[in-house]
Amino acid sequence: MRCPLETPQSVPLLLAFVAHELDAPQTAAMAEHAAGCSACREWMAGMGGVHRALDAWEAPPVSADFDRRLFARVEKEVSWWDVVLRPFRPATGSRALPIAAAAGLLIAAGLWIGRPGAGPVLSVPASAQMEPLPPDQAQHALEEMDLMQQFSQMVHSDPADPRM
Amino acid sequence: MGGAAAALDYDAELMLRVKDGDGASFGLLLEKHRTPVVHFLYRMVQNPAVAEELAQEVFLRVYRSRTTYEPTAKFTTWLFRIATHLALNALRDGKNERLQERLDDDSAEMPVRQVSDGRPSVEQRMVYQAKLDEVRRAVGALPDKQRAAVLMHKYEEMEYSQIARVLNCSESAIKSLLFRAYETLRARLAHMA
Repeated sequence: MRCPLETPQSVPLLLAFVAHELDAPQTAAMAEHAAGCSACREWMAGMGGVHRALDAWEAPPVSADFDRRLFARVEKEVSWWDVVLRPFRPATGSRALPIAAAAGLLIAAGLWIGRPGAGPVLSVPASAQMEPLPPDQAQHALEEMDLMQQFSQMVHSDPADPRM
Repeated sequence: MGGAAAALDYDAELMLRVKDGDGASFGLLLEKHRTPVVHFLYRMVQNPAVAEELAQEVFLRVYRSRTTYEPTAKFTTWLFRIATHLALNALRDGKNERLQERLDDDSAEMPVRQVSDGRPSVEQRMVYQAKLDEVRRAVGALPDKQRAAVLMHKYEEMEYSQIARVLNCSESAIKSLLFRAYETLRARLAHMA
């Protein structure tokens, strides 16, 4: 075996040997070479020391409120559709039903308001009129709400996570 | 990486569930990757508070990207690409400019490895802290990309190909980068062998 220190492409072999990443035949071949090569032995001893030193470097534990802070930030990410559609969402029931109901209601309202020849029944100021909501946006918003409910459950059911 | 590869990556499956609105899957991903990401960032910037702040941003970006997520790579590759990007930016922006001061200040926050009887003497503790500071300084003195590569290789046990994808380099470039980094560490920490 040619000395890996003399062939740059073989250097990963040395790194892998020191990190115990080689398979059995490669490990045996490298060990056999190192037994007769003082340069490799010296290199490996030095690298072994590096690995031991790095092993000793422990990171501090993650803060116990890491998840709570993250979920609070995630909650702020929820789109304003969530706020608009919150009253349409029932507290219980399947996911598909309120989505369909909300989308249907909004589409119907849009069609009714925009139908030909339909005069305004009530004198509503322009600023108070609602645009019809596309069904995909309604569904997206309701999915957001569903996600947030799950996050809230996770946060509230995990008051003092003794992780780490 | 195509669909077949993604099928092997359970994390990518979880992320696809998050995309479909499953918040519990996001919780699972967070539970699994929180500590590795925070620890990786801690060793990159060497400040616990900055590391957690960056880790929050990493997971927030994961959450924000859920609607457009496509499993084109291993989930951890994507995750650590975000983490590395943020860490390198933080280092570049000088968030960590007082690194050397903090290396001294943070000593009290570090976990102290227990010796066999469970109670290290004052002397043992001081020796341990001195060695630890030396390790941290040696790693902190590496060029940013070398540092990221070493941390992913050593602590996350990533393969060369994955590190290459995270750092957007060729695999051979990563091997060379890692060798140079380990050689530098060997020179600096040789007396600790």
